[in-house]
Amino acid sequence: MKRAFRGALIPAILLVSWEALSRAGILPMDTLSRPSAIVRAGFNGFADGSILLATWQTVEAALTGFAVAAILGILFGVILGLSPRLERVVGPTVDALRPVPAVALIPLSLLLFGFGLQMEGWVIVFACLWPILLVTIAAVRGIEPRLLELSRVLQLGFAARMRKIILPAALGRISVGLRVAISISLVVAVTVEIVLNPRGLGYGMIIAQQTLHPDLMYAELVWLGLLGWALNVALERTLARWPGGSDSGAMRGRL
Amino acid sequence: MAEPSVACEGLAGRAAQRATASLVLRGVNMSFGADGGSRPVLKDISFEVRDGEFVCIVGPSGCGKTTLLRLLAGLIRPSSGEMLFHGEPIKAPARDRAIMFQDYSKALLPWRTVAGNIALGLEACGIGEPERSKRIDSLLAKMGLQESARHFPSQLSGGMQQRVQIARCLAQQPRLLLMDEPFGALDAFTRQNLQDEVARIAAEQRTTVVFITHDLEEAIYLGDRVIALASSPGLIVEMIEVGIPRPRQQLETREDPRFLAHRHRLFGLLQGQR
Repeated sequence: MKRAFRGALIPAILLVSWEALSRAGILPMDTLSRPSAIVRAGFNGFADGSILLATWQTVEAALTGFAVAAILGILFGVILGLSPRLERVVGPTVDALRPVPAVALIPLSLLLFGFGLQMEGWVIVFACLWPILLVTIAAVRGIEPRLLELSRVLQLGFAARMRKIILPAALGRISVGLRVAISISLVVAVTVEIVLNPRGLGYGMIIAQQTLHPDLMYAELVWLGLLGWALNVALERTLARWPGGSDSGAMRGRL
Repeated sequence: MAEPSVACEGLAGRAAQRATASLVLRGVNMSFGADGGSRPVLKDISFEVRDGEFVCIVGPSGCGKTTLLRLLAGLIRPSSGEMLFHGEPIKAPARDRAIMFQDYSKALLPWRTVAGNIALGLEACGIGEPERSKRIDSLLAKMGLQESARHFPSQLSGGMQQRVQIARCLAQQPRLLLMDEPFGALDAFTRQNLQDEVARIAAEQRTTVVFITHDLEEAIYLGDRVIALASSPGLIVEMIEVGIPRPRQQLETREDPRFLAHRHRLFGLLQGQR
């Protein structure tokens, strides 16, 4: 309690002095707004539902793209991780595609899909895929060879081997890639919206800025920060629960 | 999942096979190297293991003991030679040949509890509830692990983790138990306790055991027979019948004149190899 209070001290001082300097006319209202106005704009945005709708659109795109990237990345990552020979074939292609900045694909995606969820989603998939894929390959390579031998001695079938040995053994490292990717997904979603997709929080911010409503823009910015934090926490909670029940606690610290 | 194999069906029909050869190796060679044979590791290994026999393989480090065990497990294939297990060639790993590794910290699933690790062997055999829980309980009791059933491997001492590995191997109900220096990393007291337990369990279950060690005394104390390997390339230099009756005692057995005679002989042989 005392610690939380100490941590909140500096932000509180900054906010109070921001408000005071703004009211005294020292800080310009048209660019820096003021905390009370930002709170009011945010409140209005929530009250009329516009922020909630935009939030849903942004989160929908980010999570859909993230989920598709996670499925593809883990699937191909496990396959390539288990087969060094295949990795030697596919590796150069991956290395060639990976450095392409995802946002550079926005024009292409627009051509293919037009405005809307799909064009945004596929750019996010492209951006999130690489960290998940590469980390999964490394994670599967790093599995203790004894455990793989054990699965052979026990004659586990492919599905059982995946579920009981490979995925739980690799999940600790894969989760690092997933956490990087979930942050990327939100960054790319907002970027696509700011650049040209007329939906979501990014679009809301650019409209607020262009219509001289910096207070609303700030409110959405703060909200996006909270959203990013919430997505990370939600992901961590989900990962901690896998592969089930009481066993997860010990795993988190270990792998 | 595959149908339950013979390994999981218990002791049925095993009495009839006792005293016959369980494992037969004839002229097994193993080489590692880029062109499939530049570095010989095992050379012309031939021996038989009787059903229910406890055979210890002893030798200096680097003599290919572990390679031999991995061959018996079916994890690797020999460069040449024949390996038969109950008349069938060994081509791939199988559940009726359980293997216990030395590095206990790497051989258990860290995300499963002790009971969960033991359950793995039973799941592989397709044994469902409530039979599974019953067998887990009896294995926990057999290895003195009841108190630790809900602990994770990382919360246990090395000796306890090796107990878990033994229990997991037994869960497979193997006809052959392969042990790769299982007690090499344990302190002297823990090691002696586990030696006695393994001897007791092997006698109770009438399991055939091939036990790798670099410790001469351990080999003589545990084995019905000791096979000594020389290094580079690994070849059999001696095979002795221990001939000391069971159950053996840590103090008395080690002072037995036969024990000392074996120890002298093997020590001389293996020293000569250095």
